[in-house]
Amino acid sequence: MHEVSICQGLVKVVLDELTQRAIGAGRLKRVRVVAGQLHQLVPDSLTFAYELLTRDTPAAGSQLDLRMPPLLAQCPGCGWNGAIEPPVFLCEACGAGVEITGGDELFVEALEIDDL
Amino acid sequence: MSTAQIHIHRAVMDDSLREAAATRAWLAERRLKMFNFIGSPGAGKTALLEALADALAGRLKFAVIEGDCATARDAERVAARGISAIQIVTGDGCHLPAAAVHQALADLPGGMDCILVENVGNLVCPAAFDIGETAKIAVLSVTEGEDKPLKYPGLFRKAGALVLTKTDLLPHLRFNMDTCRQAIRQINSAAPLFELSAKTGTGVAALADWLQAQTNPILQA
Ligand SMILES: Nc1nc2c(ncn2[C@@H]2O[C@H](COP(=O)(O)OP(=O)(O)OP(=O)(O)O)[C@@H](O)[C@H]2O)c(=O)[nH]1
Ligand SMILES: [Mg+2]
Ligand SMILES: [Zn+2]
Repeated sequence: MHEVSICQGLVKVVLDELTQRAIGAGRLKRVRVVAGQLHQLVPDSLTFAYELLTRDTPAAGSQLDLRMPPLLAQCPGCGWNGAIEPPVFLCEACGAGVEITGGDELFVEALEIDDL
Repeated sequence: MSTAQIHIHRAVMDDSLREAAATRAWLAERRLKMFNFIGSPGAGKTALLEALADALAGRLKFAVIEGDCATARDAERVAARGISAIQIVTGDGCHLPAAAVHQALADLPGGMDCILVENVGNLVCPAAFDIGETAKIAVLSVTEGEDKPLKYPGLFRKAGALVLTKTDLLPHLRFNMDTCRQAIRQINSAAPLFELSAKTGTGVAALADWLQAQTNPILQA
């Protein structure tokens, strides 16, 4: 549901980079995005939104390559750390509330372009 | 033809994050706090702001920023309680953008203690967009069902306080309060939970006290 709004931000960043780097239409092949599991993005929805929002832009036809790092947490109580499955944010060992240590990232990692 | 990798490592919503940071700085300069109320359409966010207007009268001066897809009805409702309210109409937008909130700050009257923002009715999108608030306040009504926190954990995880409203309706519903509390605690074990009815006013004082304590920590000490 929030894939479209997040994708608007994503496309903005991509188009801005293409302009700044004077990369012409059609040269962008792939956009590598890292979206940690905390964001709970549905890959198909994001891909669909990406195709729609890049249509008729210099990024049209490029592929979205989505990496979704797992949600990692640490327990302030007993020191346990490991992967957790949303929606449960509790320590596996002692049941206390955990702190997120990974899986909350959301950024464009790289652009893959045709080298002229 | 070969391909080249350009590493950019740039935040997906960096312009939005910049606006949020600007709002945070604006608030800090004025020692103002801002609370972002988020919940489904019809959860009772505006009714809660109306109840808070009464509960905080003479204690805490607040202004309201309202976000809706269309109409200024909610701002008018709040203004009818003597509260300064600014309406942001988002059209198709499912959340209040950080830039729109930052722009609205300039129109707020001076002499306020805090700003209460009612985001667009939606359990998902507003939680994903930082507007520079001091804390998000998740608003869930008992008519929505006790499993909603587990289905939409994003908001409940990020919330600095949680409100369970319309508790006056509990006698008419099959709603297990303990199941709901448990669900909330699995996601967010730390944030205070306020169970209240905006209609009868039961429990609103506890939230009002919390808001006051957050806003004027020195006066409370
Ligand atoms: N019984 C009861 N009804 C309530 C309570 N709070 C709100 N309502 C009713 O719930 C409906 C929606 O309330 P609103 O305050 O408009 O809800 P909202 O979250 O602001 O809605 P949107 O801004 O449209 O997303 C109205 O008919 C209110 O009268 C409550 O505590 N108890
Ligand atoms: Mg409302
Ligand atoms: Zn533990």
